[in-house]
Amino acid sequence: MLALKDVGKTYPNGVHALERFSAEIAPGEIIAIIGGSGCGKSTLLRAIAGLDRATTGSVTLDNAVITSPHAEIGIIFQEPRLLPWLSVADNIGFGLADLPADARRERIAAALARVGLSDKAAAWPRELSGGQAQRVAIARALVPQPEVLLLDEPFSALDAFTRRDLQDHLLDLWADTRPTLILVTHDVDEAVVLADRVLVMRPRPGRLFEQITINLARPRDRKSELFDTFKRRVLTALDRSLDRSVRDVTDKSSAGEAMWW
Amino acid sequence: MTVDLPALEQTAASRAASARWSRVVRPALGLVVPVVLALGWELVVYLGYSNGRLVPPPSRVFETIVALAKSGELSRHILATLWRVGAGFALGVIAGTIMGAISGYWDFAKRLLDPTVQALRAIPSLAWVPLFVLWLGIFETSKVALIAVGVFFPIYLGVTGAILSVDRKIVEVGRVFRLSGPAMIRRILLPAVLPAYVVALRVGLGLGWMFVVAAELIGASEGLGYLLLDGQQLGKPAQILAAIVIFAILGKLTDWLIEVAAAPLLRWQDAFGARGGA
Repeated sequence: MLALKDVGKTYPNGVHALERFSAEIAPGEIIAIIGGSGCGKSTLLRAIAGLDRATTGSVTLDNAVITSPHAEIGIIFQEPRLLPWLSVADNIGFGLADLPADARRERIAAALARVGLSDKAAAWPRELSGGQAQRVAIARALVPQPEVLLLDEPFSALDAFTRRDLQDHLLDLWADTRPTLILVTHDVDEAVVLADRVLVMRPRPGRLFEQITINLARPRDRKSELFDTFKRRVLTALDRSLDRSVRDVTDKSSAGEAMWW
Repeated sequence: MTVDLPALEQTAASRAASARWSRVVRPALGLVVPVVLALGWELVVYLGYSNGRLVPPPSRVFETIVALAKSGELSRHILATLWRVGAGFALGVIAGTIMGAISGYWDFAKRLLDPTVQALRAIPSLAWVPLFVLWLGIFETSKVALIAVGVFFPIYLGVTGAILSVDRKIVEVGRVFRLSGPAMIRRILLPAVLPAYVVALRVGLGLGWMFVVAAELIGASEGLGYLLLDGQQLGKPAQILAAIVIFAILGKLTDWLIEVAAAPLLRWQDAFGARGGA
């Protein structure tokens, strides 16, 4: 269980990026965090990853308070961030340095096969396409089998076809070990196709605006009417989140209450 | 399929031809101008249009080299010079690397040391010569010190700059995988810094060769620089040119050694991959 309690962040330059963000995320749950620019999505993700410390509140994973990068939390960035001097195979095995060589090789080979890049094991990162590089980054993050995987707009730099392909691929990989996924995105389609729960944030300072549960069975049909309905709901929430006259709502059930006020 | 096959063969053949072109013909192209000039001058002297006393023809320079080699003089001079460059280069590289790494890695040290180093760098290195001779004597120590000073600055600047320009996003990958300080240096910083470091080494070595000439012109009884000076004082231009040619060969050779030694470590780079064995 990943618990975020009143997480807030004010940068040293006085920018108030995130305010009192609370959420409880069950093991294996897929969460999409969506919102306009400056709503603290990436700040929140970096706090969960332990890369930046929150100024208020706490992040706990199974009762361990996260203040620095944790073995059970992996992260995938917007760019693949592969190490250019390591082969594709060595990049994937980067987090497995403690393992004996045999076990390491085996895990790498399995991961390469799983992301469909077995033929690229010896290639340099510069020889990969954008989509291939991001698949290697996903494999690198997943191969230590983390409990939680954070994704910071992981597909935003890719073309629409590759993006769809990788979204489906990510779900495939997720089904293997079912880690908790927390995905920051600005793509409504991506949020609805992947997430169990969409957290809509509002900017200045960033805070939680509304939660929308997507109780659609997987695999989800992007062309179905129900899919559209959920997309429309998220879009409506996004629109309202940018309207300053609307008060915060944190749950779908309390939406009516807030509007009534 | 039957249509494809000859086409495939043809591309294979043309690829082999283009590989031969890039391996043999392209480097050879660079030799055309110097060879034509040398042969031309040889011809001019041979035909008696010039006596070639001040500008000796290649054959006479070559004769001088052979004569020096036979008498054993040449190897003595080459060894003396190589030893000085080697010692000065090693000292300069060690000092430059350590200081550069401290300055690049540790901001406080950079603020403390960098202004002084930059100020010292502004002094033309040859200005140190009289002081070094007073401090360290006229013999080997002052020469090695001068070369080391010349080598130090490009190495220092290269290392500092390389560390400062390491991509923070890559460093963050190291943090995510919870690398310890030494592991971060070994697995992220060193490989990231290496390409710029090799360039700094090559620039430093070039300066080392420059400064060994200066050092040996000050006062030496052996070394290639001494051959230069001796050739000037005794009016032997062929000997001067012989020394120059040997300097050029040694400089290129040592530079090539660094390049070859570093190549396996830098295979991942675009530029090195494209250049291959060139």
